[in-house]
Amino acid sequence: VAGSALRIDESRSGKVCVVAVGGRIDSTNAEQLMVRLKNLLASGENAVLVDLSGVIYLTSAAFRALLVAKNEAERNTARFVLCSVLGQVRELFEMGGLLDAFTIHASREEALARLG
Amino acid sequence: VAQYYDPPTCFTIRNEIAELATLRVGLNRFCTAHAVAGKTVTQLQVVLDEIVSNIIKYAWPDGGKHELSVRMSASAKSIQMEVVDDGQAFDPLTARAPDHTPPERRRRPGGVGIHITKQLVDDISYFRDHGCNHIVLTKRYDGSGIQSQEN
Repeated sequence: VAGSALRIDESRSGKVCVVAVGGRIDSTNAEQLMVRLKNLLASGENAVLVDLSGVIYLTSAAFRALLVAKNEAERNTARFVLCSVLGQVRELFEMGGLLDAFTIHASREEALARLG
Repeated sequence: VAQYYDPPTCFTIRNEIAELATLRVGLNRFCTAHAVAGKTVTQLQVVLDEIVSNIIKYAWPDGGKHELSVRMSASAKSIQMEVVDDGQAFDPLTARAPDHTPPERRRRPGGVGIHITKQLVDDISYFRDHGCNHIVLTKRYDGSGIQSQEN
């Protein structure tokens, strides 16, 4: 199942740092995601967009990582939003009661338009 | 009572998060052998990660090296996973629904994970026996692989 390994790709769109996440996020790798996001926010990014379109599935460890990053962003008065929470990933957000815990945009384009 | 056809597949791992990879690969193989549909496999993977990571993090407060085991079995209609550990008694069914406290500040382990798990399986039960916690998770599936074996 090599295709399910966690991938984290950073890119920039104007003032927004876009973090595209792919594969599976579970308790074996969620820490990597948390560290990457915390480092970005600590380095002074003030708008971080996490694109979850490539995620196959995630567990509560991923929610923890995202919540920690969100809190970090709030401390830094940075914006932290998610986009493309789709299909099974969306169902898991729903089951965890976490759809309301984040600002979630339907697509990357929409998120960038709102952040820009 | 569901009839389970094959001898169960059993995995024993150490209480380290990295060991979950062994279970993930094992569950994938098990599901492939039983022709379980992709979405059901994913849901079982989430459940296994939630339950086992919770045990690894909280079952042995004093740390140290321990083992836990997962027994997987399949009937024509359902997949069953029984997770056994000899840590402190903990019944996940009594865990509360998640509140709005950030997870890193929650005292009670496993709120969100257990809440998700309950929704992903058709049955979850807990018992303590001979100093061990047993969590039995049952999920129905379309067992076309099993039926062709019977014919």
